[in-house]
Amino acid sequence: MLLTFILIAPAAAGLANLFWLPRRIMWLLSVLAFGATLAMGIVLLHQVLMRGVVTQWNEFFYADALSAWMVLLISVVSLASSLYAGHYFQRDLAAGAVTRGRMQEFFVLTPLFGAGMFLVVLANNLGVMWAAVEATALSSVLLVALYNRKTSLEAAWKYVMLGSVGLALALLGTVLVYAAACKNNPQGLPSFNWSQLMTMAPQFDPHLIKLAFVLALIGYGAKAGLAPMHTWLPDAHSEAPSPTSAMLSGVSLKVAIYALLRFHILTSACLGSGFSRHLLLGFGLASMFLAPPFILVQRNLKRMLAYSSLEHVGLICAGIAMNTPITIFGALLHMGYHALTKPVLFFAAGNIHQTFHSLEFRIIGPGVVKVLPVTALLMGLAAVAAMGLPPFGLFFSELTVISGGIAAGKTTVSVMVLIALIASFCGILQQLTRILPGARKRGRDNETDASPFAGTSAMALLLGTLLVFSVWLPAPLLQGIRQAAGIIGGKP
Amino acid sequence: MNPASPEIGAQLITLMAALMLVMQLLLAVQPMLFTSVRLYAIQSFLLAGIAGVVAFFDNASHVYILATLTFIGKVIFLPWLLNRQLRRIQITQEVEPLLNAPATMMVCGGLTLLGYLVARPFTSLERLGNNTLAIAITLVLTGFFLMINRRKAISQVLALLTVENGVMLAAVALTTYGMPLVVEFGIFFDVLVAVMILGILAYRIRETFSSMDTSKLNQLKG
Repeated sequence: MLLTFILIAPAAAGLANLFWLPRRIMWLLSVLAFGATLAMGIVLLHQVLMRGVVTQWNEFFYADALSAWMVLLISVVSLASSLYAGHYFQRDLAAGAVTRGRMQEFFVLTPLFGAGMFLVVLANNLGVMWAAVEATALSSVLLVALYNRKTSLEAAWKYVMLGSVGLALALLGTVLVYAAACKNNPQGLPSFNWSQLMTMAPQFDPHLIKLAFVLALIGYGAKAGLAPMHTWLPDAHSEAPSPTSAMLSGVSLKVAIYALLRFHILTSACLGSGFSRHLLLGFGLASMFLAPPFILVQRNLKRMLAYSSLEHVGLICAGIAMNTPITIFGALLHMGYHALTKPVLFFAAGNIHQTFHSLEFRIIGPGVVKVLPVTALLMGLAAVAAMGLPPFGLFFSELTVISGGIAAGKTTVSVMVLIALIASFCGILQQLTRILPGARKRGRDNETDASPFAGTSAMALLLGTLLVFSVWLPAPLLQGIRQAAGIIGGKP
Repeated sequence: MNPASPEIGAQLITLMAALMLVMQLLLAVQPMLFTSVRLYAIQSFLLAGIAGVVAFFDNASHVYILATLTFIGKVIFLPWLLNRQLRRIQITQEVEPLLNAPATMMVCGGLTLLGYLVARPFTSLERLGNNTLAIAITLVLTGFFLMINRRKAISQVLALLTVENGVMLAAVALTTYGMPLVVEFGIFFDVLVAVMILGILAYRIRETFSSMDTSKLNQLKG
């Protein structure tokens, strides 16, 4: 029943919050729900390591090492976001930025958003997986529009429209995969389960599968924010409340990548890995090279962070596309470390926004450290991590991808990845040094006073976890990621 | 049942698929929003009809459920919901699309040709009727074009719904008897919820901008 409970816990919390509960109770419910899923995710990882796959309801739910890894990521980021949200909305309510109804909307939709993501990674049926991705898009769109400003409505509209167009294409791709299965199996209804499709994959019509993968790549790629379908991403990330930005960037993008990966694995089993791999590499590198110039010209903190996410998503795709066990392992590890790092930056941006009432660099800075010392310190550390400096894990995962690529003789790609990473490193460094250090300018008293520790507990928790896991990866986790990399690489 | 009946079924499906395309072209050129909703309802009715024909001639009882779902959801409920939203925001007409009607027709003609070209390598896969896949792809392409061409938020939602009709037509045309029911249910509820949420958003856009012209959504750049 484990897989079912992982879904039910957040869904139940979301539905319970529909009732007019006090803020603390709503907060507690969502924190408890994601805490429970985290615990269950750990149990799931152990079961997967023992048995290979865990299935339920006649294989309706299907979890292998890749799913278990994703369950852990979703739980951690959602838990941190929920923890942070309690304090965030307390301040927003006090400042009159949101009404109580809007806050309740947040606590209803966020657990449902999480439940949708769990369904994506646990569903065996590709059609159900599609429906779940659509459900995550639908539950997050009202979160993006939560503040009801002109700009947030614009962002939400762009997000839902681009997302829906992409997902319509992904649905067509899903239908084509099913058509390929039907062609192989003219009598009766073939199964639409991914695990079943994998056993039949070598006999599928290659033309259909090619077309299906291209459609899925564009569709789920739009949801994952791969360039050039990324245009909704900076808008949505900058306009959403910070806990939602953290979830969108921390896991929602990776959940879309996960959906894409299922198609990639299927296509590789049918056509050999060359076709889907090269496409993935092209889109990944395009995202990596598009991000740095946009990071450099941004004038808005959260938009800059969104472009940094684009960079990391590109790196994950490139690592997987290089298709050696080491680079895939590095890419999966990178997913995890990025999920621990990016929310910290968005939480910091949330604290800054609530204190300075703006996200524009020229209004915030310089000298954030004088007003919000703890936030600035944690943000600086997280930024150092996100840029890929040691001792943080992202350094190791990036190094793994690049060195794995070079060891496999893919020097050109590895060097390109390295150049893009250095460029974005310079971009983030340049932008953050403009706002974090330095002295406050005179005549700036637009700040709201806040205690220096306000809203920093969730950030510190995530950073602490990141540091611990940077130096010490528990053996089961390592084993799980290795197994997941094996699934993507085509070896059981 | 006499032996000729599958033939009749195929012809019926071809006819109804062609009519779906006609509805799409009408939708593309006429500006009245209430009529657009009606045209969408007719198009969905034809889709339900195709599913019904498949169910009848192939003796696939679960496709009847699909046909009923399509009928209740897309022929009755969604048009009712869209009409209600239209009355609430008191907009009846699309204002100047980017391209005028003749140019729109030209583009749609070109997209239809493209749809047939794209579908050609896969015609051997069609289990039902002729050219249903080509029409499905054309519906998807023209639907995307409509989304670009129209400015009102509600028209864009309608265009998106026709895209979804196209995908569902492809599903019926290419697969044995439509997709498994659980998938159909999933898609069905997603579409319903999507239209409700898009309606809420469109209403909020209308309230905040005092207009539903999405070309005014242009503050976020870079």
